[in-house]
Amino acid sequence: MKAKIVFAAAVIAGLSFGSTAAEARTLIQNKGSDTLVNVAQAWAEAYRNVDSGVAVAVTGGGSGTGIASVINGTVDIANASRAMKKKEVDLAKSKGQDPVRHVVGYDALAVFMHMANPAKTLSISQLAEIYGEQGEVEKWTDIGLEVPGCKGQEIVIVSRQNSSGTYAYFRRAVLGKKRDYKLGTLDMHGSKDVVDLVEKTPCAIGYSGFAYATDYVKIACVEKGESGNCVSPSVQNASDNSYPIARPLFMYTNGRPKGEIKKYIDWILGDAGQCIIQEKGYAPVREVKCE
Amino acid sequence: MFQATKRDVRNKNVEFLWRLLFLTMTVLLVLPVLIILATLIVKGGPAISLGFLFLEPTNGMTEGGIFPALVGTLWLVAVALLISVPLGVAAALYLSEYAPDNWLTRVINLAIINLAGVPSIVHALFGVGAFVLFFGFGTSILAASLTLAVMTLPVVIVTTRESLLAVPRAFREACWSMGATRWQTIRRVVLPNAVSGILTGVILEVSRTAGETAPIMLTGAVFFLPFLPQGIFDQTMALSLHLFVISTQVPNVPEHLPYGVALVLIAMVLMLNAASIGFRVYLRGRKKW
Repeated sequence: MKAKIVFAAAVIAGLSFGSTAAEARTLIQNKGSDTLVNVAQAWAEAYRNVDSGVAVAVTGGGSGTGIASVINGTVDIANASRAMKKKEVDLAKSKGQDPVRHVVGYDALAVFMHMANPAKTLSISQLAEIYGEQGEVEKWTDIGLEVPGCKGQEIVIVSRQNSSGTYAYFRRAVLGKKRDYKLGTLDMHGSKDVVDLVEKTPCAIGYSGFAYATDYVKIACVEKGESGNCVSPSVQNASDNSYPIARPLFMYTNGRPKGEIKKYIDWILGDAGQCIIQEKGYAPVREVKCE
Repeated sequence: MFQATKRDVRNKNVEFLWRLLFLTMTVLLVLPVLIILATLIVKGGPAISLGFLFLEPTNGMTEGGIFPALVGTLWLVAVALLISVPLGVAAALYLSEYAPDNWLTRVINLAIINLAGVPSIVHALFGVGAFVLFFGFGTSILAASLTLAVMTLPVVIVTTRESLLAVPRAFREACWSMGATRWQTIRRVVLPNAVSGILTGVILEVSRTAGETAPIMLTGAVFFLPFLPQGIFDQTMALSLHLFVISTQVPNVPEHLPYGVALVLIAMVLMLNAASIGFRVYLRGRKKW
């Protein structure tokens, strides 16, 4: 029996050691979008140094999970990479919740090409023919371009691994829900890798979060439809919805945020929070100066 | 007369071949275990340090340690044990010592066996519905541990009952004939003799509880929470979920990190097991039969 008591005592001691080490604090529940989860984690991590009395618990699970938690009122802040549908808002209201939307950043994807590529404008339909399954554009010459230094003018299509949120969003925005990517794309495991490869490959085209742009790649001006007007990705163009491959990222609170939750959201929308989202490859809600 | 006939030789060869076949199969069984352990030690070993064990994750969980997850897993396991061991042992005692052999008992037995076969994700959904929402515990250590306890109850009940049945009936009869009540018999004779078997069940439960991801993901464990839990109504990080998260959700995690987490998880389970096994051996040494 003695050994058992010692064992139990050891476990209890271990647990209470954990308990006494932490001080009193407020807990903020933050749940939802997998696109935002890494940014949310970075915010939570950085916020410890702002206010160590507030603990932010971050959980992923997808935008749907976050929105469901808003409807059930089981979360303080829900993350979503899509807006709540009217049906969902109504359901939440019928349960006594009052979802309030905050735009915390933008997911804007830039299309990158080699510096030597003479292209300036690419339309969404051209991109779809380059990236999409059974797309007709195989060579740069198919869209009337001649890229110096690119042997055979064969386009090197750079994409992402299929578990990436960027992969999924680019597909939806450019190819449409039903169309798949072409076979034989080069699938990179990081946004930065895409840009690095395109920098060095004259034949290449690639896409990534717009914050990954460097001075050594060309960024396509993207034209929606046949309007003849193209829009370059920028914080301004992402936030006013004029750039076609961008979506807002949301946080939902129940009612106007108050107290510690308000402080946290204000901090996220402030320079410190917005610099973090930019660092993670998304567009901030406004121009910010970061170190 | 005793010379080996052709048939004897053939039988001997066939015998040898079967033996070889079974031996190969057994070795093949051990192989994956060895490969897993070797891979973990080689790839995860360099990650292990005091800082890795006792610091919080930093820089988007690509650096730093796993302390909150480690403590969280200990919490989950401990609370789950506190719930399921008393419940499971009590149920097993009733079934083996008191219950008459009638249809009700047989239905209960069948239910327990079926409960053991329910997939863990189904337990997770049950936990969300029952503990998180209906009982209003929220996503918390309590809800997660209750879910884990429900999931592992059948293991505790079945192994406990087996070990109770292994105590010779003559012991009980001798005790009764001295005028002891049923409870006195259980308390003084049956339980002390069955405790090593009960511990086996607890060991199995600890291993499974520490490793499960699905049930806790929905009921109490979080992606990131750099604080240690203060009580059973807090949420917590956990090693198994942390391993899942840094292997699939977080970009730019150095390769040795997930392997390191897996190594710690396995080492923790093995150490808890070793402690219980040691205790069991000690108890068996005192066994009087």
